Amino acid sequence: MKHFGLIFVVTLVVCFPLPGLADDLCATDGLDHKVCLTAPAERVVSLSPGATELLFSAGAGDKLVAVSAWSDYPPEAAKLPQAGNSNRLDLEAIVALEPDLVVAWVDGNSASQLAKIEALGVPVFWLKPRTFEDIASAVERLGVLSGNEKTGAGRAADFLAGIEQLRDRYQEALPVRVFYQVWHEPLMTINDEELIGRAIRLCGGSNVFGHLPRVVPRISKEAVLEANPDAILSGGEDSDDRRWLEQWRQYPELAAVAMDNLYLIEPSLIQRSTLRMLEGTSQLCRTLEEARARL
Amino acid sequence: MNPLQARDLVIDIPGRDDGEALNFIIQPGQIWGVLGPNGAGKTTLLHTLAGLREPRAGEVCLGEHRLMELKRKRISQQLGLVFQERQDGFPATVLETALIGRHPWLSPWQMETGNDEEIARRSLEQLDVAHLSDRMVNTLSGGERQRVAIATVLAQAPDTWLLDEPTNHLDLHHQVSVLQLLTEQAGAGNSVFMCLHDLNLAARWCDHLLLLYPNGEVCWGPAERMLAPVALERLYGQELLTVEVDGAPVFVPRKVW
Amino acid sequence: MHGYSRPLAILVLISLLCMGLSISMGSAALSFADTWAVLTGNGTPLQQTLILELRLPRTLSAFATGGLLAVAGALMQVLLRNPLADPYILGLSGGAAVGALLAMLAGLAGALVSGSAFAGALLATMLVFGLAHGTGSWTPSRLLLTGVVVAAGWGAIITLILAMSPARQLPGMLYWLMGDLSHAGNPAPALALLVLVCALVLPLGRSLNVLARGPLQAAALGVTVRPLEWLIYVLASVLTAAAVSMAGSIGFVGLVVPHMLRLVLGNDQRLILPACALAGGTLLVLADTLARVVIAPEQLPVGVITALLGVPTFLYLLYRSR
Repeated sequence: MKHFGLIFVVTLVVCFPLPGLADDLCATDGLDHKVCLTAPAERVVSLSPGATELLFSAGAGDKLVAVSAWSDYPPEAAKLPQAGNSNRLDLEAIVALEPDLVVAWVDGNSASQLAKIEALGVPVFWLKPRTFEDIASAVERLGVLSGNEKTGAGRAADFLAGIEQLRDRYQEALPVRVFYQVWHEPLMTINDEELIGRAIRLCGGSNVFGHLPRVVPRISKEAVLEANPDAILSGGEDSDDRRWLEQWRQYPELAAVAMDNLYLIEPSLIQRSTLRMLEGTSQLCRTLEEARARL
Repeated sequence: MNPLQARDLVIDIPGRDDGEALNFIIQPGQIWGVLGPNGAGKTTLLHTLAGLREPRAGEVCLGEHRLMELKRKRISQQLGLVFQERQDGFPATVLETALIGRHPWLSPWQMETGNDEEIARRSLEQLDVAHLSDRMVNTLSGGERQRVAIATVLAQAPDTWLLDEPTNHLDLHHQVSVLQLLTEQAGAGNSVFMCLHDLNLAARWCDHLLLLYPNGEVCWGPAERMLAPVALERLYGQELLTVEVDGAPVFVPRKVW
Repeated sequence: MHGYSRPLAILVLISLLCMGLSISMGSAALSFADTWAVLTGNGTPLQQTLILELRLPRTLSAFATGGLLAVAGALMQVLLRNPLADPYILGLSGGAAVGALLAMLAGLAGALVSGSAFAGALLATMLVFGLAHGTGSWTPSRLLLTGVVVAAGWGAIITLILAMSPARQLPGMLYWLMGDLSHAGNPAPALALLVLVCALVLPLGRSLNVLARGPLQAAALGVTVRPLEWLIYVLASVLTAAAVSMAGSIGFVGLVVPHMLRLVLGNDQRLILPACALAGGTLLVLADTLARVVIAPEQLPVGVITALLGVPTFLYLLYRSR
């Protein structure tokens, strides 16, 4: 369905601008809703840090009139007015800004709150990036809606090209069995569906919990010991907080500990589904290469 | 034994004037009855004498010592109290309930011995409830529970018995046997002090009476002196007819046509 | 009359069986033979780590936590003369939760969260103590009301903290609130506390039996009621605080276990309290085993299991006692 929608949008916008809709800008969002604007968006509100980042990537940073809390990248995003926390939006403030486009994030925002905004006639564009391709196409579509079609398409293409390059280089490499730790109490990891899980596979890693049904499963230490991964990766609680990793050293029989394959991955580069994933993934690939050398 | 004594005692009933102070000693062998209308403070007096309530003035002494100076455990070895109300959020069996009466005589580390159980069983027998030993107290009738409560104090074996309406819920036969038991206790050198609402039971079994008026006025003394119809009519605000049966006065309310 | 040893011996046996079951089950498949091998000093290093370093401490933590909660619940029930009281009824878990969540919000982990929870629980205890005691007139219903209102206050603060916390902190916080043994530390102090308290309440047992019949009756039978009541309150609070700081607020163990035991064993506290320690521990060991294996290798918070087991059991008991 998604691809069909994408083809439809591309077809619509690029090839056949219909006479009656000549000035309309349309794009299908992550929920397969078609969002059309009569003119490029000039007053955009972003409701999640990821959406803010993607809007900046699409060249629409100067169109943003408000962002959600924790929108800290790029640095100029942090200076914009805030419209509340992503799961508790300040609806009044958003409506008062008279936006012509609101960009929401499926995993963070409340559908019922957004329904109210939509009822007031403000177009809502939902983002739901689950794959590298989704990220690229989100930038592309946000470019279209904000009148930065070329910037968006260019950045999206660069991103995909970078990802392809990594794929070509690492996919056939010797598999490294990886445990990626998302949180410590409770102990959480990701499966293959999660974007980090995809990045691990792209880099020639094999996620020991990739097969679990839940996207962010909560597991036991015991399961980690039994799976006995070759490398343990974690974003840590902060950028240079190795505490979670160091805790594994109390189990010297773990292959990852024995080979000293405990790696901190810069969380801001990998835990948001944005164009920075390219840098994060390439860091991840280099890390796994290092781990691979110790196998 | 150490006789229980009220010295210039004024019981604390909220919202009521001090009234007269109480001064009496419950001597071994005596049976005291407290008479008074509802709300006159009979239960409060009983609880104050047991040291469960602070008096407004004066003091209660057990032998030479003021009650408030004695440890509760020492007091409970000499004073036994039968309450009018009972709580059973956590119901126990009849035998367990009677065994509770042995608590004052056991150290924290001791378990009840066979001897304690023997005492408890005998007490239950004396009150005619031994056949209910394994029943839960909350399944008993009011009269049965009353007898279990008295058996508990019997197992406690105090020198001085304080009882709040001991004949409550009892049928006539059991009323008499309970009062007979108390008479035996007095005969053995113990003393009994009880609130009664039945004037005639008091007249028949008590040798001392204490009349408690709702306004705080009190008088006490040997039964024969206290059983003046005028005083009793004023006490209850009720006209009485007096007849003599078996050499003792019997009081009957005058019927108003 | 003193048939204490038989029910307690049966409970000890059941406890040991359940602990054995618990350490031989988990995400990693180990047979009973493997478990036995490890316990007798054999087995591979991995098996030894799994059983001796992961499962055994956790099972003991579960046992200690469940035992502490059940004993605290039984004490609270006597204190409030209400068989439906539980260890959290006076707002202790709320105080502990606020302590723990604040520590998590500050980015702390492990022992610091536990310590903060313990401090929060004691603060809650003292707050209720101060408020209920301040006026001089103290009754179980006054203590209960104070506790319930203070607990509602803690609830509001908990909601506030949850609302203010960044999304990535929330799973940890919610697991803590539901009760979870995965971050329980060394079980030894809690086990020691459990044994100590059982030894301490043994001489108090008969006084507790008397107290259960009401404060006046107890005083008339030689119990110094007020000091005993405060002792029970402090004991129950420390027990609950220790349990909560190990495993978060696990519900229902402290309510259901004493209640069920009273139905079966009667109301002699000298039997009920040690029986609570054993049965409460066993129940939580079983619930935690379920939490670990139901959707293994994924894990559930044990509080969910105790609630799922506890609610129908309790409703059944209520229905039956009508």
